[in-house]
Amino acid sequence: MPGGGGRDLLLEIKGLKTHFFTDEGVVKAVDGADFPIARGKTVCVVGESGCGKSVTARSILQIVDRPGRIVEGRILLHRESEEVVDLAAMAPTGKAIRAIRGKEIAMIFQEPMSSLSPVHTIGNQIVEMIRLHLPMTTEQARDRAAELLERVGIPQAGRRLDSYVFQLSGGMRQRAMIAMALSCRPNLLIADEPTTALDVTTEATILDLIKELQRDLNMTVMFITHDLGVVAEIADDVVVMYLGKVAETAAVDPIFHDPKHPYTRALHQSIPKFGDTQRGALEAIRGMVPHPFARPDGCTFHPRCESFMPGECDRVAPPAVVMESGTTVRCLLYGGSDGSGAVRDDAGGHAGTAGGEAGARAPGKGASGPRAADQGAAG
Amino acid sequence: MGRYFIRRVLYAIPALLVISFISFLLIQLPPGTFADTVAAEMMESASVNESAIRAIEERYGLNQPIMVQYWKWISGILLRGDFGESFIWNRPVAPLMWERLGLTLVLTASAFIFVCVVSVPIGIFSAVRQYSVGDYIATSLGFLGLAVPSFLFALILMYIGFRYFGTSIGGFFSPDFARAEWSWARVADLLSNLWMPMLAVGLAGTASLIRIVRANLLDELLKPYVAAARAKGLSELSLLLKYPVRLALIPFVATVGWMLPQLVSGATIVSVVMSLPTTGPMLLRSLLGQDMYLAASFIMMLSGLTVIGTLISDVLLALVDPRIRFT
Repeated sequence: MPGGGGRDLLLEIKGLKTHFFTDEGVVKAVDGADFPIARGKTVCVVGESGCGKSVTARSILQIVDRPGRIVEGRILLHRESEEVVDLAAMAPTGKAIRAIRGKEIAMIFQEPMSSLSPVHTIGNQIVEMIRLHLPMTTEQARDRAAELLERVGIPQAGRRLDSYVFQLSGGMRQRAMIAMALSCRPNLLIADEPTTALDVTTEATILDLIKELQRDLNMTVMFITHDLGVVAEIADDVVVMYLGKVAETAAVDPIFHDPKHPYTRALHQSIPKFGDTQRGALEAIRGMVPHPFARPDGCTFHPRCESFMPGECDRVAPPAVVMESGTTVRCLLYGGSDGSGAVRDDAGGHAGTAGGEAGARAPGKGASGPRAADQGAAG
Repeated sequence: MGRYFIRRVLYAIPALLVISFISFLLIQLPPGTFADTVAAEMMESASVNESAIRAIEERYGLNQPIMVQYWKWISGILLRGDFGESFIWNRPVAPLMWERLGLTLVLTASAFIFVCVVSVPIGIFSAVRQYSVGDYIATSLGFLGLAVPSFLFALILMYIGFRYFGTSIGGFFSPDFARAEWSWARVADLLSNLWMPMLAVGLAGTASLIRIVRANLLDELLKPYVAAARAKGLSELSLLLKYPVRLALIPFVATVGWMLPQLVSGATIVSVVMSLPTTGPMLLRSLLGQDMYLAASFIMMLSGLTVIGTLISDVLLALVDPRIRFT
């Protein structure tokens, strides 16, 4: 693995809370998420629908739609100049964040058809982005846009500049979107389920493309998906989210071979295995994602958890526990309930924030002090 | 694009021909002819002069079959630009109609521009600042504008205009210019008198267009391409105008053509109240008096405007929406 030495952080999300203030009540889409993103790596954020993956991504760029807004937490961007800026503290329509959007952090979206304007040509939309951030004339920007389209594997790139979205196939659209996102050489590329709307063959080629570009441009990628197959293919690190919180953060190998959190294990069991000789229904995670207004107390996963411990999991919000392997997990199976039995949901929030600092330190290989690592309890 | 345009124009020709025939047929539908109207008037005053009636029937071919009459009329229009004679005014229809139609178009066009200039920005503001104080004010004024009948608004305007601004009431021109030849001074006089009917005619359109723009834009604002444009780093205003506003105006552009005849007919009541020499009052009178050629020509013109308006809509639509141009 490249960069084996001390891992250099690009982005740190600390205690992020993004809430939506609707007429019916407050939806806590992201409710205290913490995780780091290491420079030059691919981080996959996984979880079921409604777990706050996309809202976390949008929070980084401050493009959360009304009525949502960031209510708490910090999003620290570490620049190469060792300058650190807090994106969460910036005004959502201000110049500072606009200079970062597209330039330092670019994003590609789930559905290229609806994420590109249907009434402007591809070239128009890419040139617009280039000229917004780089001092170029329209002709120069057009040449660059053609190069980019060629780079992402669109044939006859020069002619395709004048195409409209509806004239391209699904895969070509996503390539065009990727070309646009790359146009200003971002340090971080956020990909929000970029292959969900594509068929599997196209998905494979797009994943290969993202992997290849990540390597060639030494770019950091934050990849949101609900597909563990995709995770296995491209991830260096994995963040498992559940109900707006981070359940587990680990490198890709431990996620697949030694998952800690019961939710991570449950996600595993729900993958169909090819060549599985046993017939029968695919094992699904018990129950449903709870209604956004009825978040369970304590550990939010406890109503669906196989290892539910009555009296603990439904009362204590689990703090982050750093394991020896570098995995950070929020589950009382690994400690956190001792001596803090009276911690209720509110106070649990504070514990969570404190745990977040630990989590941020955690990925350093050989980080000291695993607080509890009785793996026997996991079985 | 060129082929699309030519095809649309070619489609319009048969539509216009059918419209001309239906217009003529419509005028023939009520029982009786202009000769009967004259006879009825004669009966009221004195004895009926049979030979005079026969002369009228003979002159206009009123006893011939409809197809013959239609052919006489339409061939006159197509070959010589002759729309026939107005029985009531005893003048050729063409100059009568062009004068009225010209003034109506001036009024309609200015009202239309007024509607767009006022409604589009207010509608955008209303959508972007949904549920703000400004949105509530715009919404209330919009509903008020929809609810107030245009003739009442015309009366109020005339009162305000006369009481506080000393504007002459009624008509497009001040008394000095009413019968004058066209000159720059007369144009200036027209413009200074135009604002009142323009407001009265445009009021309802303004109110509804604010609502349309607001609703369409609210739909567009949450679409993924807006978030994607924001993620590029565009400023809020420029992304708003380039992407969602343009898409929100597409349905509006599609209906813009229908507004042409609607504004003409909607202006009738206001025109009667403000005694404006537009097409509306003249059409009403020609229908009441069975002034066949005048009424048919007017109806044909108004229907023709609908066809032309739709044609304009289609072409505009193809210009703003490439999905239509290429399929």
